[in-house]
Amino acid sequence: MSQLNDTAIGAKVDAAVTASEKVGLLRVLGPAHVWALGVGIVLVGEYMGWNFAVGKGGAYAALIACWFAGLLYTCVAMIDSEVTSTVAAAGGQYTQAKHIIGPLMAFNVGLYLVFAYTMLEAANAITVGFLIDTVAAMTGHEGLDQRPFIILAIMFLAWLNYRGVLATLTFSLVITAVAFSAILVLFVATSPVFGDSPWRHADLVTDLPYGWLGVLAAMHFGLWFYLGIEGTTQAAEEVRSPARALPFGTLAGIMTLLIAATLTWYVCVGLMPWEYLGQSGVPLFDAARLSGSMGLMVLLGIGTMFATLASANGCINDASRAWFAMGRDHYLPAWFGAVHPVYRTPYRSIIFLVPIALIFALGAPLDQVITFSILSGLLTYTFMPLNIILFRRKWPLDTIKRGYVHPFHPLPALALLCLCAVAFFAIFLGYGSQLVAMLSFYIVVSLWFHFRRYRYVHRAAQFTMPWPKPRGY
Amino acid sequence: MDIWNFAEYAAWAVSGILAIIIVLDWIRIDTTYSSEVLTSSREGEIEAMTEEHRL
Amino acid sequence: MTRYVPPKQSRFGQILDVAILLLLTIGALYIPLWLGFAGSTLVGESPQNPTWESLGQNPVMVEQWNGLGFTDASAASEIISSRFNYSFSVIELLVMIVVVIGYYALILRFSEKEYRDVIDEKFNGQ
Repeated sequence: MSQLNDTAIGAKVDAAVTASEKVGLLRVLGPAHVWALGVGIVLVGEYMGWNFAVGKGGAYAALIACWFAGLLYTCVAMIDSEVTSTVAAAGGQYTQAKHIIGPLMAFNVGLYLVFAYTMLEAANAITVGFLIDTVAAMTGHEGLDQRPFIILAIMFLAWLNYRGVLATLTFSLVITAVAFSAILVLFVATSPVFGDSPWRHADLVTDLPYGWLGVLAAMHFGLWFYLGIEGTTQAAEEVRSPARALPFGTLAGIMTLLIAATLTWYVCVGLMPWEYLGQSGVPLFDAARLSGSMGLMVLLGIGTMFATLASANGCINDASRAWFAMGRDHYLPAWFGAVHPVYRTPYRSIIFLVPIALIFALGAPLDQVITFSILSGLLTYTFMPLNIILFRRKWPLDTIKRGYVHPFHPLPALALLCLCAVAFFAIFLGYGSQLVAMLSFYIVVSLWFHFRRYRYVHRAAQFTMPWPKPRGY
Repeated sequence: MDIWNFAEYAAWAVSGILAIIIVLDWIRIDTTYSSEVLTSSREGEIEAMTEEHRL
Repeated sequence: MTRYVPPKQSRFGQILDVAILLLLTIGALYIPLWLGFAGSTLVGESPQNPTWESLGQNPVMVEQWNGLGFTDASAASEIISSRFNYSFSVIELLVMIVVVIGYYALILRFSEKEYRDVIDEKFNGQ
């Protein structure tokens, strides 16, 4: 059945929509959009933020963290691809949790997603303001008011998202491709291929300044190399053939990021003393500055700007899908489950999340916002191994058809669980109190959901997949 | 007053215009269509049509 | 097995629920900030009259610092000599482990209960 071609599905769906006066999200995206959504959200991590891992444990610690986090995310991508190629609906991991573990888990996962993405969006907007301020300062203007630019970035992207998903993700595709190419160009241009290379690895890379504890601590920001790639699943209800496009886009995305992360690390540690790199606001831009080429500086400046915009854009897209899906199931007020009849977007969710993003972008410090985002992401990753183990147990391989089956089960799930434990410890080393505050928040919200909110939810109706009855029930 | 001051005002103005466009369209849609139509999207409808989980 | 019919939520109730969620979220982010135990701190004071040599920087490093706009050692000394403090108490670590595991245990338990209802109504109902 997966051989059905896209147009046939489209025609069928359109016919169903007109026949019953129903409006749903539009199936218009291809694998390239999925790639752009995943990589677009994450690539900003190479332009800023990953380098705090260098500060936490030195250059080699950051590389080890980069690869271990890469391993973690490869597990995430494989597990996600299998489940999502079967559970193809907006809401991504939220919908997976609802079908596989249960409503309360789903509610929590939905909130992780919304907060991870909304906080990341706020962090991106803060960075846009900072970048424009930097450019203004370089042209001799001191004391720029960053607020209008932060607001403009969020408003423009919200408007784009409001107007339709195809334009939104095509925009992401273009600017993400530019930002990724900028990293490649920087690497090639500074390499010895063209004669004199400014790289000084032998003299700049030192031993581990904190020993192995620093390597563990670096995992905190090592996640930042890839955080958000799991967002590809949010597009499930809008891609033309989810069973093929989602695994392809997600796995291509993680490969792109592994390359980008390693190149970024190599260029940066070869150009900057680690003490500087560990606290730099815009490491790739600094690397371009040190290369001494004006062209590279402009290119990486543009790359940084594009990466932040692509990330914020994808975040608005993903957070609103998750919020919308929860509204549609009455986990949140049903009012949010509305689809724009012309643009076919979850417009009320998009509008609602704008002021929230603004509150955090204008009112909270960047490292707090980033930590909130990382923690919510980490909670999602901890949920995933539980999810896949239960999925395989309740619906073994011969009971339902999967678009993609991940290999070596349950090894990736167990590896992912161990890596999550390491990441929890790393966050505990610097931000233990936030960790406990966040978990207290989720515990309170869970109790609220279980004892109050859940009464507004239809029971059987939330199980929408055409699957057989799970084993053991 | 230099170009950056103008840029600040321009950013405020464009943000405001975008906000107005979004809110006006939101009001227009909410008053034109009934809430039954707007919230008629259901999860998994397409899967039920295109995939049958039989092996 | 009777089908569960949820009550219809009033407009006011919907707004109230969103307000509760918002309040909790903002609380979770800002309460650690207000209580002042947010963020990891850098320790270590920069030495008096530092030189590039006393900071352990080799000539290549000095060249790069210059390229980044740090023309003398004292400007960079704070960045170079500050370090994170990774000491922690075992009690705190145990508290964190208990909270994390307890949280997931709570969710899985309640979820399982709700999930059984869902499956029961979906496959055994009607």
